[in-house]
Amino acid sequence: MKPTRRDLVAGSGALLAASTLSVPALLGQSRPRVVVVGGGPGGATAAKYLARDSQGGISVTLVEENETYQTCFHSNLYIGGFKRYDEIVHRYDTLASTYGIAIVRSRATQVDRDKSEVVLSDGRRLPYDRLVLSPGIDLNYDSVPGWSQAAEEMMPHGWKPGRQTQLIREKLDAVPDGGTIVMIAPPNPYRCPPGPYERASMFAHVLKETGRAKARIIILDPKESFSKQGVFMPDWERRYGAMIEWLGPKVHDGITSVDPKTGTVVTGFETYANCAFVNVIPAQMAGAIARDAGLAPADGYCTIDPATMKSVVDPTIVVLGDACQAGDMPKSAFSANSQAKVAAMILRGELVGAPTFPARYINTCWSMVDTDDAIKVGGRYEPRDGRIAAVETFISQPGESAEIRRQTQAENLAWYDAICADMFT
Amino acid sequence: MLLVASPVEAAGDRALGAYLAAECSACHQISGRSRGGIPPIIGWPEDQFVAVLDAYRSRQRDNPVMQAVAARLSRDEIAALAAYFGALTSKP
Ligand SMILES: Cc1cc2nc3c(=O)[nH]c(=O)nc-3n(C[C@H](O)[C@H](O)[C@H](O)COP(=O)(O)OP(=O)(O)OC[C@H]3O[C@@H](n4cnc5c(N)ncnc54)[C@H](O)[C@@H]3O)c2cc1C
Ligand code: HEC
Repeated sequence: MKPTRRDLVAGSGALLAASTLSVPALLGQSRPRVVVVGGGPGGATAAKYLARDSQGGISVTLVEENETYQTCFHSNLYIGGFKRYDEIVHRYDTLASTYGIAIVRSRATQVDRDKSEVVLSDGRRLPYDRLVLSPGIDLNYDSVPGWSQAAEEMMPHGWKPGRQTQLIREKLDAVPDGGTIVMIAPPNPYRCPPGPYERASMFAHVLKETGRAKARIIILDPKESFSKQGVFMPDWERRYGAMIEWLGPKVHDGITSVDPKTGTVVTGFETYANCAFVNVIPAQMAGAIARDAGLAPADGYCTIDPATMKSVVDPTIVVLGDACQAGDMPKSAFSANSQAKVAAMILRGELVGAPTFPARYINTCWSMVDTDDAIKVGGRYEPRDGRIAAVETFISQPGESAEIRRQTQAENLAWYDAICADMFT
Repeated sequence: MLLVASPVEAAGDRALGAYLAAECSACHQISGRSRGGIPPIIGWPEDQFVAVLDAYRSRQRDNPVMQAVAARLSRDEIAALAAYFGALTSKP
């Protein structure tokens, strides 16, 4: 079959799928190779845009250890009963069949920067001309005294997808009326700045809906203030009365320890014994593969060039999403997706001579407060003075009309559909 | 899947349109699908598309997300976006 121009332009699924097998034979080894580690909003988006827009001109390999991608974004909607679990699970099949991306289901254990190779857990090595790392976060299990990886079943974090998300919902369901939930919020910088507070809203929503309005949710925060605080706090009061109590560091005087066996949390000020459920959201850092490659400090994030998303340590490696330090951009799926598009444009310029343009980034974080009630914060960003800086920002206001809040929630749902389509189809 | 329905402008415009459009596709599906909340924007007449983006830019239309999106787009960029999205059609 002779491909028509239209097939080439449109990236016909069948053609590209076939070409995954035959292109090396057709073109020899001359196709530049990009290896992407991590199939989340950073990695999946980068892989798709590189493959789609180079129309087969770049060989793209996506290394992902999990068979499916389960989103942390909208996991709070699952916890709140607004989505089924299967609605936040996505597959990589279309990336392979439509765009000819080679999906390698494996864990990358090492980046051999001297040889420009990624080493997989089974010992295989993948050579690259450019490497894209978007491994997300690792949790710092030592950041809360008394808590550990062994305790993450008893005191779940729910800050990584899958079983942890489901555990949060199970523990919530078991809280008795009058019971106490303690959430330990994380220090900056962490994945999804408004996430803990959206989650607390969902806890209150579920408890209220199920006749447990006497339960209390106590948020112990190491931060003096938090994302969208000026909107969340009056909304909690209005929606949930006294159910949610937020305590900053001056009030609780620090977390002294937790005891997972007895469900106890001790602060400088008070002991919360017999908690019905303790949600520990610990400090975070870049995923191991990026730290081990020497691209970030031991417990930190990777510094990038704001114009290209390339590591300042190694210009053959791009670091996207939660694993990088992106200036004014929060760690969000939206940010990772936006950064991936800039990186794909830059890499296509370098590898196949495609036109390049100045970097520009965008983000919006929606948070649900209650049924048909969401708030948002966001902005546009550009490189300025060596960092990614906000050039336009907006935020929801307290006391907005029910109609605006309903519209904001409709946007939130539509955004989820769009970004998942953008990543996976 | 998408089809390019009309002949495209100069390669630069097309590449610029495609790059800028990537910013929109996090919210507006390029397939034209939508279940409310964020409207579809493909296959519009170009002048209408430009007029609507101008209305967000001048804050006559008041969605904060779209105002932030439109605020920093130049005339050429809006034209490139209008051509790019205008040329997209959804396949049944
Ligand atoms: C409760 C909660 C709510 C959230 N809500 C929102 C929201 O409403 N909007 C929003 O924009 N964001 C939200 N986020 C944030 C969002 O989930 C993250 O910012 C986003 O997932 C980051 O994308 P990423 O590509 O950097 O990493 P990830 O999504 O973590 O993807 C990394 C991928 O890499 C894989 N991986 C890691 N290391 C390796 C390795 N060595 N080898 C192979 N594979 C590897 C992982 O399996 C994973 O699939 C939320 C987060 C949480 C926890
Ligand atoms: C963060 C999400 C988001 C992004 C990104 C975004 N939009 Fe929008 N867009 C919206 C929402 C929400 C509306 C509906 C706003 C309203 O009610 O006025 C909208 C409306 C529009 C409309 C009017 C549609 C109609 O039927 O009236 C156009 C045109 C448009 N957007 C174009 C764009 C373009 C072009 C881009 C990229 C440069 C873009 N949008 C990026 C969320 C977004």
